[in-house]
Amino acid sequence: MFGKYGLNDEIKENGVEIRIEGKGKIKRYYRKAGGDEIEKIVSAESGNLYVVPVEPVNLPKLGVAEHLLIEFENPYIIEPSIQDTFYLKFPIEVGIFLVDKKDVERIDIFTMAKQKYTLYGSPEQGIICRWWKSEIYHDKPEVKKLHEGIMRVDVKNSYREWVEVKKMVFRAFDMKIFYNSHAYMHTHVNILKKTMAETAFNSRKPKNMEASIDIYEAKGIKKLEKKFVMEWGL
Amino acid sequence: MNLQAEISKMLNHELMKGVTLLDLFIFVAILVVAVVIAKIVRLNIRRALKEKVPKTTLVAIEKIAYYTIIIIGFIIAIPYIGFSLSGLLVAGGIAGIVLGLATQTVVSNLMSGLFLMAEKPIQIGDGVSIGDVGGVVKDIRVLSTTIRTWDGIYVRLPNEKVFTSNIYNYNAHAARRFEYKVSIAYKSDADKAIEVIKNLLEEHPLILKEPAPQIFVEELADSSVDLVVKIWAPSSEWYGVKTEMLWKIKVALEKAGIEIPFPQLVIWKGEET
Repeated sequence: MFGKYGLNDEIKENGVEIRIEGKGKIKRYYRKAGGDEIEKIVSAESGNLYVVPVEPVNLPKLGVAEHLLIEFENPYIIEPSIQDTFYLKFPIEVGIFLVDKKDVERIDIFTMAKQKYTLYGSPEQGIICRWWKSEIYHDKPEVKKLHEGIMRVDVKNSYREWVEVKKMVFRAFDMKIFYNSHAYMHTHVNILKKTMAETAFNSRKPKNMEASIDIYEAKGIKKLEKKFVMEWGL
Repeated sequence: MNLQAEISKMLNHELMKGVTLLDLFIFVAILVVAVVIAKIVRLNIRRALKEKVPKTTLVAIEKIAYYTIIIIGFIIAIPYIGFSLSGLLVAGGIAGIVLGLATQTVVSNLMSGLFLMAEKPIQIGDGVSIGDVGGVVKDIRVLSTTIRTWDGIYVRLPNEKVFTSNIYNYNAHAARRFEYKVSIAYKSDADKAIEVIKNLLEEHPLILKEPAPQIFVEELADSSVDLVVKIWAPSSEWYGVKTEMLWKIKVALEKAGIEIPFPQLVIWKGEET
């Protein structure tokens, strides 16, 4: 499903249909995903259609949240001063972009994953996050490719005591999503205290994967900070 | 030696009564220094507040600082050109009283505006209630705050009124709670009703997972068992969620066979013995 398509290609996979119909300049964009259908008129002669996984904070409404909170099915306990690697599943949204030599325009976005939001921190100081629950896997898990992606987590406990972690929070602005048949992210988590950690993303492109279109770069929003500090508990 | 004497003579040459050329130089020098200091202060204010306050407010603050420094410089310099500071102060004092009385409201609004900008109880785009006005803040200026009321009317509030009123800011925190009262019949199963509502709330993306919704029996009323449903939603979205969910709860309860009763009064007619 993910990748680059011509304007006349028709995409059909697991209940999702995407196509641009019509000859000449004025075309009709059609997308069906689950029970959700959308049509738009597109005026284009050249360019390509990209179907790529994007940061899961755009639906049902952009601006509600800028962070993703992944809650673990079971708490994860890590001993002092060690490093570990595990995998999580994260929800994805699928962005459809029209791309030509000069510009990138997102024309549609949909998700097959469950949408739910939560509060991280207190109502006075906290932040709204997209919520997701995942098991912790020691090997790359199988995923429903249009629903979820694989997140590699390199975790380091820099604190002098054992730490129990029940959730991790990541900033959407920092996300670096890659894809082949599924979506993939690589994160680094540095535990600073029993209730505090830093989360960041690895921007190095893995072998045999493509970088997704960065929605914030495409919109011209600069990324000022590269790390998010979880200061209201782990 | 001769040159020094000539310069000294020239500088001490009286241009008018009691004012020498040196005095004039000092007067001009003080004014120049005041202008330079004012420009430096203005530049620093611009740099410090550029990202923090609206452009119109920034211009006003810059002007106030700039002209205050110039006026102070002028007051320091003016005795050098033969004007009596005491006379000026008397005249200035009288003018100040007149001006003060005339501009009392303006100054009060200005000071309130500056305090509002420093304290930041409201920001542009926030949903607020200030006194008896409720709406969305469209602009905060030095003298006034403009609000678009919930029904779309433009209201300009003097900053003094904003500053001295009770302010309710609905967007200051990330999340807020609202609640419904849902009444079910005595013969209906309250536990089942709670389960139905819980499942319904779980399906809505903008009803927050944490803090979790609370649903419980609040009162055994005359004609019904009253449940209370407390829901947290993002502050920016709560109104949409609130207007959407009550009817959905009613439909879900009815679908699950739970009756929502009308008020009932059971009348027992006494039998004659």
